[in-house]
Amino acid sequence: MNALNLGGLRRLFSQPRTVIGAGILIVLLLMGLFAPLLTRYDPNSLEFDSFLPLSVKHPLGTTAIGQDIFAQLLYGARLTLLVGAVAGLIATVLSVALGLTAAYLGGWVDEAINALINVFLVLPGLPLVIIASAFLRGGGIWPVILVISFTGWAWGARVLRSQALALRERDFVQAAVASGESSGRVIFMEILPNMSGLIAANFFGAALYAVLSEAGLSFIGVGDVSLVTWGTMLYWAQAKGALLQGAWWWIATPGLGIALLGTSFALLNFAIDELGNPRLGRAPAKPPRQGRVPASTPAPSDALLSVQHLEVGYVTRAGTVRAVRNVSLEVNPGEFVGLAGESGCGKSTLAFAATRLLDPPGAVLGGTVALNGRDLLALSPEELRQVRWKEFSLVFQASMNVLNPVLKVREQVYDAMQAHGIHDKKVLEARAEELFRLVGIRESALDAYPHQLSGGMKQRVVIAIALALEPRLIVMDEPTTALDVVVQRQILQEISEVRRRLGIAVVFITHDLSLLVEMSDRIAIMYAGEVVEQAPAHELYRQPAHPYTQQLMQAFPPMTGPRERRSGIPGRPPALSEQLTGCPFFARCAKRMPGICDVKPLETFTVSEAHTVACFLYDPAVPLATRTLALNAGTPPPAPAHPATEVNLESALPYSQTN
Amino acid sequence: MPYLLRKVVILVFTLWVAATLNFVLPRLVPGDPVSVMLAKYQGRLDPSAVDALKIAYGLNDLGSPVSQYFSYLGRLLHGDFGRSISLFPTPVTDVIGQALPYTLGLVGITTILSFVIGTALGLYSGWRRGQTGADALTPVSLFLSSMPYFWFALVMLYVFAFQLKWFPLSGALDPFPGAAFTAGWWSSLLRHAALPAFTILVTSVGGWLITMRNNVVSVASEDYLAFARAKGLTERRILSRYVLRNALLPSFTSFGMALGFVVGGSILTEIVFSYPGLGFYLYQAVVGLDYPLMQAIFFIIALAVLLANFAVDLINVLLDPRVREGRA
Repeated sequence: MNALNLGGLRRLFSQPRTVIGAGILIVLLLMGLFAPLLTRYDPNSLEFDSFLPLSVKHPLGTTAIGQDIFAQLLYGARLTLLVGAVAGLIATVLSVALGLTAAYLGGWVDEAINALINVFLVLPGLPLVIIASAFLRGGGIWPVILVISFTGWAWGARVLRSQALALRERDFVQAAVASGESSGRVIFMEILPNMSGLIAANFFGAALYAVLSEAGLSFIGVGDVSLVTWGTMLYWAQAKGALLQGAWWWIATPGLGIALLGTSFALLNFAIDELGNPRLGRAPAKPPRQGRVPASTPAPSDALLSVQHLEVGYVTRAGTVRAVRNVSLEVNPGEFVGLAGESGCGKSTLAFAATRLLDPPGAVLGGTVALNGRDLLALSPEELRQVRWKEFSLVFQASMNVLNPVLKVREQVYDAMQAHGIHDKKVLEARAEELFRLVGIRESALDAYPHQLSGGMKQRVVIAIALALEPRLIVMDEPTTALDVVVQRQILQEISEVRRRLGIAVVFITHDLSLLVEMSDRIAIMYAGEVVEQAPAHELYRQPAHPYTQQLMQAFPPMTGPRERRSGIPGRPPALSEQLTGCPFFARCAKRMPGICDVKPLETFTVSEAHTVACFLYDPAVPLATRTLALNAGTPPPAPAHPATEVNLESALPYSQTN
Repeated sequence: MPYLLRKVVILVFTLWVAATLNFVLPRLVPGDPVSVMLAKYQGRLDPSAVDALKIAYGLNDLGSPVSQYFSYLGRLLHGDFGRSISLFPTPVTDVIGQALPYTLGLVGITTILSFVIGTALGLYSGWRRGQTGADALTPVSLFLSSMPYFWFALVMLYVFAFQLKWFPLSGALDPFPGAAFTAGWWSSLLRHAALPAFTILVTSVGGWLITMRNNVVSVASEDYLAFARAKGLTERRILSRYVLRNALLPSFTSFGMALGFVVGGSILTEIVFSYPGLGFYLYQAVVGLDYPLMQAIFFIIALAVLLANFAVDLINVLLDPRVREGRA
């Protein structure tokens, strides 16, 4: 969202560059405003000797015709700032008016305005300004301001037009239009406020252009050199040979003034721009690798992938969000493990952290991850590079943008193999074609660019790439969520068949539990960053042990049987930024045992072989009577005790399925 | 191909607008340009010059402004720009022919250098974001590109040419540089070009740096980059085929535009160093109210920018597959 509001302003001014930019601007403004207080002299009076050196009386000496340079510098700030502000304002108003009109009205109006914008963009700016101003010579400051404004609006109009076009397609604008709001209201109440940041950035950009243009014009004597601006000061200094006289400060100070003013505009422009596009901001400081239990060599096991006590957090200014908490998970060779949970429960974070793809501010804070007995978290970047894709591969969630738009599919299939030592052209080609047949796409798709393929085809390409080196493990993060149901089913069947044939282990992440029950060997349920239950798929389906799993299961309608109303799970998961004591599901649990569940540190208990659950209902230390009572009573939970400040790691709504 | 057709239409249309502005602007001045000039030169113009002027402006043509306009466009199509007034009777095309090589040499080469250096630094700054050195480049660039470049030129001139006398004060060659393309001539040329080139480089490199940095940062958060890393590609390959390929596309468009603007010269730099390029002559034309020269230079600049843009559009078709189908 590109809006400037109170929160936005606060964030803006928490950046040093905003503070510096605004600071410079205010100092220069004060210089101009209080010029009469800061100097006793009139900038235009010729009462002194020429070329006086620097002295207490004349801090910057005098000009060739005996004007006080310090007074000129102070008063010059006035007109220079005026040109910047007014020309910047006019240019911005023009940009907004034309950009919005084009975007809002569309059709031939848009075409015409767009053509006009293009014309002004390619017309050479400074020569045009010089020529235009040559005809307006000596007319005071306003012709100069007008000429600068009329040549400086086009870039802003182009940016604002495309932004407004994007906004017009957004839901809230569409809704406003559909509800019959007038065009004016839609533009001024819905579109403009959301562009305020961009417009402000645009203003400072235009003001920078205006100040530099005015300086340049004045310097070559186009415009009105009888006025005192920093540009005309430079003109006179140059015309009267200031440097030859050794009066370098006559040149240096106004130029520095312009440079500082320009920098201040540029800093503000940049900072506001960044606010709208946070990706441009500074990268957050590298989170310390603190707390990662060092050198605890992973326990030897037969498992292909062994995650032990993994702790993953997002280190933010407000504190650390512990997205994955003490998670242990094993995947055996050839096994299909489903990982399910609500959006934001940490399942994607777990997958990314375990494969070391997590970007800052995300960081592994503790635990081990071993693949084939090798500690993945301890690998050097080069070792990691070699292990990737050869030993394990990934299929991403947002697969629409997973392929590089400017490279042919063929190159992107090849380079995965080339990076791991396969360079023979014939081998590459044969393998690529084989892979494409395997996932059911035409071989001709190899020579397509990603944008020429449908969503389903792109996802098949990604799966083909994931299979390229026949890794022993593939991690799939909601691989079919963005696809329509029919394609989804086809792809899932293909995945299932291929991996069985090749004996590849799969970690399949989804929020669709019914899907997992059908496909998985084993299922792990995550809640609030913890694995709360793990069991073979059929056992989990028949006898879910954790109250959370039970409720998830109840949220699905059975395939057969009478229609009935399904309820979601009331309440929300706790905020992961909090320190949780006891069971994270306590607030929403129908079978909770107050005094136990919310007090004891969470532990995992074994229900039967290969079936574990993190729930005190299975804690042998708790008296059986208490547990039986809770199991049978099912006290309805009160309103959620946790505040609604959810940490939305996947920016999706909490999972609650009603049918 | 509708995409190219569209671009050709825009090219022709913009060119027409530029030519029309060129025609209209002189006529906005009170009185006609010839009487303005006659007043300025106070009888120093010989009658043939006055006639030439009148022909140049179509003022001997007693037809309506509309017919004047069309005969003006006709002469433009034949490349007939008339004669310069400040350098009478040299044809305007000769003046331009003389100045153009200097401008192309100085501004053209520095523009390419600036693009290459700025883009490389921007790539570094964006890719190594979060490191002190890479992050410090941004504010430095902002300051460098907010400086009035002619002012920086003056400072350079004062320090390195006037005080230290390392470089000549003005011009493009020594008065007697020797035969063209000999060693002495080259050294003279390079010594004269050094300061202006440095000035243009320092003041323009920051813009490319910031643009490239922003592009790289945007690309770095794309899913296809995470996927490339997951594939275990080497850092070199990720940088060249994934980051650079995608991040260069928007920069490349601006680069084409900048190449077009080369023809106009770096006006203020050329003025400060009295470097006899097109920008310098444009300034002379404005000061000397030499309308034919002014119009011709302006038209040539517009033409160069438009052609450069057109070339960029064509090359974009090759570089970005999405453009080919009119998607971007």
